[in-house]
Amino acid sequence: MAGFVARRLTSALLVVTLTSMFVFALFFLGPGNPAGPVCEAQGRCTPERLAAIERQMGLDQSVVTQYAAFVRGLVVDRTVVVGGEHTCAAPCLGISYGSRQEVTEELARRFPATLSVAVGGATIYLLVGVTTGSLAARWRGTTADRLLVGGSLLVSSVPYYLLALLAWIVLALQWGLFPGTGYTPLTEDPVAWASGLLLPWLVLGVAGSTQYARYTRGAMVETLGEDYITTARAKGLSPRRVVFGHGLRAAIAPVLTIFGLDMAALLAGTVFTEQIFGIDGVGSWALEAVRAPQDFPVLHATVLLGAVLVVVANLVVDLAYGLVDPRVRTS
Amino acid sequence: MSTTADLERLAEDLAAEARPDRAGTGVSPHRTALRRLRSDPVAVVSGAVVLVLVLLGLLAPLVTSLWGIHATVGHPDAPRPSEVLLFDGYPAVGPPYEPFTWQHPLGLAPRTGVDNLATLLYGLRTSLGVAVVATVLTTLVGVGVGLVAGFVGGRTDRVVSFVIDLFLSFPFLLGALALAPIVVSRFSTDPDGLALAQVVALVAVLVTFGWMGLARLIRGQVLSLREREFVQAAVVMGLSTRHILLKELLPNLVAPIVVAVSLSVPAFVAAEAGLSYLGIGLTGVPSLGQTINQAVDSFERYPLYLWAPVLTVMVLVLALNLLGDAVRDAFDPRTRR
Repeated sequence: MAGFVARRLTSALLVVTLTSMFVFALFFLGPGNPAGPVCEAQGRCTPERLAAIERQMGLDQSVVTQYAAFVRGLVVDRTVVVGGEHTCAAPCLGISYGSRQEVTEELARRFPATLSVAVGGATIYLLVGVTTGSLAARWRGTTADRLLVGGSLLVSSVPYYLLALLAWIVLALQWGLFPGTGYTPLTEDPVAWASGLLLPWLVLGVAGSTQYARYTRGAMVETLGEDYITTARAKGLSPRRVVFGHGLRAAIAPVLTIFGLDMAALLAGTVFTEQIFGIDGVGSWALEAVRAPQDFPVLHATVLLGAVLVVVANLVVDLAYGLVDPRVRTS
Repeated sequence: MSTTADLERLAEDLAAEARPDRAGTGVSPHRTALRRLRSDPVAVVSGAVVLVLVLLGLLAPLVTSLWGIHATVGHPDAPRPSEVLLFDGYPAVGPPYEPFTWQHPLGLAPRTGVDNLATLLYGLRTSLGVAVVATVLTTLVGVGVGLVAGFVGGRTDRVVSFVIDLFLSFPFLLGALALAPIVVSRFSTDPDGLALAQVVALVAVLVTFGWMGLARLIRGQVLSLREREFVQAAVVMGLSTRHILLKELLPNLVAPIVVAVSLSVPAFVAAEAGLSYLGIGLTGVPSLGQTINQAVDSFERYPLYLWAPVLTVMVLVLALNLLGDAVRDAFDPRTRR
């Protein structure tokens, strides 16, 4: 087990490092010039001014030196020049070109909104998806099952962002349901927090649950055909205990793996959700940073954060696998 | 993403099929699949819808010129924006203020005065074009990588598997986010170059993050096919690796490839429209996602402007997905009669 954990940790670290190098190289070695937006922000940008700004920002140094400076900034404070000198406390992800603030500060301010959306949505789709999937497997072949399977196929065949957009337009704008949709920090007003995020959660939850219902149904149908389920039935256990007690325990492991793999899709869903429902999170921040004038440090930080979240989710799921499914632990 | 899980399910099904106890019926599996597809009402209806939309996209230049509408602002024959727009930027002919007119069935876009039907048709063309090119490229890369990794095995296979896992764990949206500003800042002074560069960058992102599912599936298939007698016979006969890969293995992989292709086209259509909606896809050429992005703000005044592209993307992706699903069922040996 220790060897397995060590191996998974190494590979996770490798993925994050490679991503950070790749994005860094893309920005600072690629065809775009990070000094361009800074220069343009200060009025007319002459070649001499551009060159001077490049020198100030250290862009004339080799990309290896620059990356080394970035990595050192993760552990010790560093001074960053963006139109003026800024001290950037460790861990430093740079200074935003737009706001001239430390990227980590703004990230910390915006991350709770993104986390709220993602965790709420994921909770709903896991709960709803696994429950309906198990029920469909239990009622396999009935009209209820066929309706569930057909409905889930239909919903998952429509792109998520269109569902969210339709929900926003029809439910919120036209019918006036869900007033006050938006983000209020949980610590400020828990009721406003929950009511403001209810619609995004429901949309994310319903759209995501259809897939989990299908996975769960598939895994459950297989599990319910096993001999030990027949044994449990023969012992006279109630159908509910057979399905949820004995069946689900074995069928949930592959569903959890998919949850880990699906982290990327969840993040994408969160970006669309923030954009559509006007939530001021990390996703909409990244989209702002793409628009001119571009904000490379912000993009670098958000892409890196996304990669870290995906890698950590996969790591946690891999480690949790053994807890849920004892068969994996022994082998 | 659902496609990966679907492909994995297919791999299990195919493994079940590979067991030798299946009695020969004299009809090739592909013909059975085609016959089943033709008798499946969902497949027929969604196939017809897809066909109509593909034809509309392909014939967009013809339809627009016959109708006398134009999808670009600066077209010499198109009316000048000032001639068709009111002071508030909304069109002077057609919806939302004036009644329906056959001249512009879907109305004109606010601010630019471009015909919405023309934009829609050209957007359809863009969507399908991007999706088809991306699908062809991902299929080539996926099948190539999968074949080599599965057949050569050893260290190559381990490296390839690691790279597949690496790419699978990286969200493609982040790739698009990272690439979009570079393309824009590089070509900001040259609109035509920007439009082309955006298409190339978009396809590159879709391919870079889209080949892994198929590669993994093909690799698994090849791993099991490699042990079969006909492949071992080919190895013993001293046939070249190239011959074994392309003439012995590839024909046995048609089913998973067809299924992967039919499921990846809708995924790419949805991805293109989604990225363009977020403003990190296409801005230089007509695109359905981009129209949705522009139409959201004026929705309350001018709903038709938004509904037309939203419903088009929805119907297109839905029909393509249902068709792909029917294709998968048709090739699924578990339900084979």
